[in-house]
Amino acid sequence: MKKKMLTLMLLAVMVLVAACGNNKSGNGNGATATPGTNEEGGAAAGDKLKVVLLIPGTLGDKSFFDAANNGLQKVKSELGAETKVVEMGADKTKWEPTFNDIAAEDWDVVISGGSEITEMFNATAEANPDKKFINYDTDIEEAPANMYNMSYSTNEVSFLAGAAAALATQSDMPNANKDNVIGFLGGMDIPGINAFLVGYIQGAQYVDPEVKVAVSYAGDFVNPAKGKELSLIQYNSGVDIIFNVAGGTGLGIFDAAKEKNKYAIGVDSDQAMLLKDTDSAKANLIVTSAIKKIDSAILGAVKRLQDGTLEMGKRDVLGFVEDGVGIAENEIYKAAFPAELQTKIEEVKQKLINKEIKVDNAMGMETSEVEAIRNAVKP
Amino acid sequence: MNSLLNVILTTDFAFSVLRVTTPILFAALGALISNRAGIINIGMEGIMLVSALAGVIVSAYTQSAWVGLLGAVLSGTLIAGILAFFTLKFKTHIILGGVAINMFASGGTVFILYLLSGDKGSSTSLASKVLPSIDIPLLQDIPVLGPILSGHHILTYFSILSVLVVYYLLNRTPLGLRIRSVGENPHAAQSVGVSVVRIQYSALLLSGFFASLGGAYMSMGYLSLFTRDMIAGRGWIAIAAESMGRSTTVGTALTSLLFGAADALSNALQVLKIPAELIATLPYVATVIGLIIYAVSETRKKNKKLKATITK
Repeated sequence: MKKKMLTLMLLAVMVLVAACGNNKSGNGNGATATPGTNEEGGAAAGDKLKVVLLIPGTLGDKSFFDAANNGLQKVKSELGAETKVVEMGADKTKWEPTFNDIAAEDWDVVISGGSEITEMFNATAEANPDKKFINYDTDIEEAPANMYNMSYSTNEVSFLAGAAAALATQSDMPNANKDNVIGFLGGMDIPGINAFLVGYIQGAQYVDPEVKVAVSYAGDFVNPAKGKELSLIQYNSGVDIIFNVAGGTGLGIFDAAKEKNKYAIGVDSDQAMLLKDTDSAKANLIVTSAIKKIDSAILGAVKRLQDGTLEMGKRDVLGFVEDGVGIAENEIYKAAFPAELQTKIEEVKQKLINKEIKVDNAMGMETSEVEAIRNAVKP
Repeated sequence: MNSLLNVILTTDFAFSVLRVTTPILFAALGALISNRAGIINIGMEGIMLVSALAGVIVSAYTQSAWVGLLGAVLSGTLIAGILAFFTLKFKTHIILGGVAINMFASGGTVFILYLLSGDKGSSTSLASKVLPSIDIPLLQDIPVLGPILSGHHILTYFSILSVLVVYYLLNRTPLGLRIRSVGENPHAAQSVGVSVVRIQYSALLLSGFFASLGGAYMSMGYLSLFTRDMIAGRGWIAIAAESMGRSTTVGTALTSLLFGAADALSNALQVLKIPAELIATLPYVATVIGLIIYAVSETRKKNKKLKATITK
């Protein structure tokens, strides 16, 4: 009898533990079921805006996804909205069911981003016409009537980064050498990365038509050791500044920069600030970063949506004018670049703002065109 | 062609080959020992990942690179011990165990990293230490050879030393003899009083020990930080190197070097105007060619043996 009782109790505990475990699991249904059921009653009464962010991956990339999450935090603190972030993980098969589950709950605004999810996100939006959707970064222009799409002029900000790099390599900055070569490390040879590359090359050529650009692709976004190898080769071949467009792989560039005492340019977020507290020697070599201001873009979009001024069903490309992109002008930037170079960079920036400079976009280019641009500047 | 030679015939390139080979060599030696004892440890990737993280965490908290290395080695050996425990005690299939270790390591390291640093991507917020690189006196002054062989990371030298150690261990010590006999015929070994399970335990622990040195190298020398899944297939390449090296110490070391050289070459060639996709296939082409050579020589050997028995 006692034994039976014990078994029963054990069973009960196990069921309980399993249930709890399900709720805490970061992705998928369990995580999202609780808030939905909890707040069904309250939603009608309170007029708090309910905003959910779906991350197609996991947080902690120190750039793209974390920036989106920062935007959500700003929505929470500045607009007083009720927010939630769901990490959908790397398993793409789980994304669509998660979209549908979330859309079925009582969220007012559903935010997600990335070209990979655009198609299924659009389908979810079409199936839920009473909800508002925001895609914070996509290449695709068309959007359903209840969806607002954003993208960033990565080509323009890369243009400015390229101009800064070309100015640095010619300058007498302490770690610049006499070779007129700058570097670029991409994660993969794909349009999204090449949009950075083409802008970077054109920006460098704007400053100095003779500049050479060494280009490497790691073929991988999570292999920092490979990133370091490729960077060392570039630095050894006379490159004195490398632009990181390689996600986690790019963290290897900063290691190589420290070893060789050369410069690097960060991407997406202000990457010097990430390393400033733990390794200031390394951070000081990251002279600037090409930033997508995803956080303020998300905040701005939700704010306009709340005011009713957000135009749905279209895509906005956020450039310098819209404050969607920019380069990091932190204390490291100010210390590294001499004042006269800073003025020159500012001039280029103003010209980009005034649309006096037209930057090509690799997104719509043929592969052969990109290759021609790339090969023309190879050292 | 000229520019190709300019890329390869530099001391920088030769130097980078040794640097790239180190983690592969460590893990391949580990795979070698367990394989010779008759158990295939496919958990190398996971063991390396765990020890890479442990090295960063321990060195960040103790502010000593050497204590960090100790932590890395202990944790890697512990993971191998867990694998051994389940395989040898509970008779779990070793392949399943290895797969489990790899998956556990991939998710578990991110979880632990998140708990300790609040980051899920990389350990940039932990001030971890790195082990030193060493300039070898006298050697560093020799032209050409000096810049290639001197100035490497301490674990790179240790990996080369490990080849000798493993060779000696397997071929000249009682434990090595037992490992080999257990691998070749466990029943025969048992019949003469060798404890098969105990030998396999030691072999798996040793394989974990070497793999964890490779992991520590990744985060405490090659790079100065841990990032998620940073081993990026090096554990698997090591297993391939071990089997392509026909489970001999010298063969394993040479194939590891071959893989390292192919990888270094694929990096170095990127400065030339060759499509990056084509270059990226180099290490795999090297593998396929290696396997073909292996298969051809094996078949020849077999045919010769067959002929010999027929003519007898």
